[in-house]
This record gives sequence, structure tokens and C-alpha cells, in this order.
Amino acid sequence: MSSRGADSVLVDLLKKMNRNMETISKKLDRLIELQRPSGGQGARPNISLPEDMPLDVTTLLSLPDHLRKSALGLATLREATATDLSKETGRVRAVESDYLNQLVSMGLVKKKRKGRDVYFYVET
Amino acid sequence: MGKSLAFHSYKGGTGKTSLVVNLGALFAKQGANVCLLDYDFRAPSLNVLFKAKPKFWLNDYLEEKCGIIDTLVDESDRLNLRGKLWVGFANPLLEALKDIMSKDRKWEVKALTKTLACKKEIFEKKKVDYLLFDTSPGAQYSSINALAGADLISLVMKADEFDLEGTKELSKGVYEALGRKSGIVLNKIPIEQIAAGGGAEKFGKQIESDMGLPLVGMIPCMCELMAYGGKIIYTIEKPEHTFTKSLSEIGETLKKMSVT
Repeated sequence: MSSRGADSVLVDLLKKMNRNMETISKKLDRLIELQRPSGGQGARPNISLPEDMPLDVTTLLSLPDHLRKSALGLATLREATATDLSKETGRVRAVESDYLNQLVSMGLVKKKRKGRDVYFYVET
Repeated sequence: MGKSLAFHSYKGGTGKTSLVVNLGALFAKQGANVCLLDYDFRAPSLNVLFKAKPKFWLNDYLEEKCGIIDTLVDESDRLNLRGKLWVGFANPLLEALKDIMSKDRKWEVKALTKTLACKKEIFEKKKVDYLLFDTSPGAQYSSINALAGADLISLVMKADEFDLEGTKELSKGVYEALGRKSGIVLNKIPIEQIAAGGGAEKFGKQIESDMGLPLVGMIPCMCELMAYGGKIIYTIEKPEHTFTKSLSEIGETLKKMSVT
């Protein structure tokens, strides 16, 4: 096999691996959603916030520890994907993705799509 | 990457500003690059000691009128320091104080993100080893923003019951919640109180046990500091003074705590 042919095979293989990783990641997200306990760290926080509540420090302090870490990390990065945030917090991407979406549903964080990536941000 | 240290207290008058200025000057004298930020927007005071007339205040940075680097004044040459000492000042004019008090929560979100962002920029652009925040006492927005941006929080307190109880609340409700490492600096401690507590070591252990936090250091009460507070930097002008020696020990402990 020529060098160019070998490169092409390698690129295809890497692309396939990337697609598989994304599929696994999405499945993990769904599994976390299905297996979330009724209490404990993974639980949806039962916090009712007024509409348009900004993510200021007093709101931050009222959040449960696991969400506060994500929110503070996102405030530091200002705009980030779940992967970016997982590097900041040291937790796995799927977990950060879940926590960020909880923050979105609480109205504290916004999200937007850029190409294939979903970016989360704190509106200022 | 450098380390950021915030100095905070439950009540006012515990000596945070003196500590921040003297520690910052000491670190720079030892050869480190230091940046001091006056985050006490309700009662700015660093401008008095440094006799500063900066082109931009930290208030201007939070209002997006300039970058954080534009606010910094280099005081190292004037003070003849080996390392660099940059200082960012809060605006002491009454209009600025009124303006800060009228801010809404949405503005505070911006202030939080800008505080977190400025830390990174200062470390990268100025190659700073230590970024020190002087804060307002109590649970003020600007203070908690600075605490959120700090790697290590020094709780400066006197050892009276009011300070002890209030500081415990702050420690649980804010420092622990933010997940920040923190330690206590006991300041203005009367010699009699230390003696009554069974000596410095026993007294310190008792405070650590009461507060559930490590003791960074202890500074005895000195009337002389009241007379010269805001006028001289002891760690530069009086290297043999008891206050300077106490601060040297505190500085070394903080350096160790900030890397572990």
C-alpha cells in the first residue's frame, strides 16, 4: 500500500473512531438521564427561581455543590462546550453536559449551536 | 500560573488593607511579581497609601471602559522593589461610591465574569506570581466576586466573640460553598489575650478548633500601627519591626498553602 493510501485509511479510521465516541457519549448522556436517582448529587435540584434570575454570586451560593462547580467554571470560561468545561472542572463530559442542561432549564445559563457543537454561556 | 489570594473579614477594621499592602510589598521586595487589586469599592483606601491618580479605576474596568491592564499602576520603581508591584485602585469619589451601590443583579453577573476574566489576563500579560485582592467586609457582591476568583482566602479577624461567630457563618456559607481553600489570620491580638489563652500556640489551636480552619498566623496588637496606618509600608520601611516579622511568617505560610 502506498504512503498516501495508508494515510487515507488512517484518516477514515480516525473519523470512524470519532463518530463512535460521539455515539457513546450521547448514549452515556441518555443513561445518566435514565438512571438519575431521586435524591443525591445527580438529582434535579428542586429550586424555584424567579424568571430572568441572573447568575450572580448570591444565586451561585444558593445552588447545590455539583451545579455550583459547573456554573462557576462556566462563568470563568464565559462560553464553553461541555468538553471545555470538563477540562476546567476535571469531571467527565457527559456529567458536565447534564449539569449544564440543568442550569439551562433553570434559566441561569443559555445555550446555542455553532456547527456541530453546542456552546453554553452566561448572559451578561 | 500565579496564585490569587483574597483577604476578607466579617467585620470592618480587622486590618485587611494593611495586611494586603504590606504583604504585596514584601513579596515584591523578595523578587516576586505582585498585583494588588482594591476590591473594596465601598470604602477604597489603597489610593491614599500610594497617593495614586490612575488614568483608569477598577470601576472603569467593570464598566467596560478600559481593559484590566489599563488600570494597573507600576509602583515598584518608586518603592525600589526587586520584583514588580502593580496596583489597581478603586475610585474613592462619592459619585463612584453611589454608583456602585445602585447596581442591579444583572450588572453583578457582568462584574463576576469580568473579575474571573481579569485574573487570567493579569497572570498571562504581567507574569504575576501573586494576585492579591483587598475586599469589603461582610457579604458584599464585590467581595464575593473577588473570593470566587481567589485560589486561597485569608480570613482576617480579631479574636472577639462578634468576629468569631460572624466569621464562622461566612466560612460555612461562602468560603466552603465556593470550594475555596481558606485560613485564618488573627490580627490585633492583645498580648493579655494570648497569655490568658495559655500562650500563642495553645491560643492558636483553640481558634483553629473553634473555627474549623487552619491558622495562617497571628499578629499582636500594636498601638503604633494605628498612628502610622495608611502612611508607611512597614515591610519596606521597617524591616526589623515586629509587624514585619509577623507578616514574613504569614507570607511564607500563605505561599506554602497556595501551592498545596
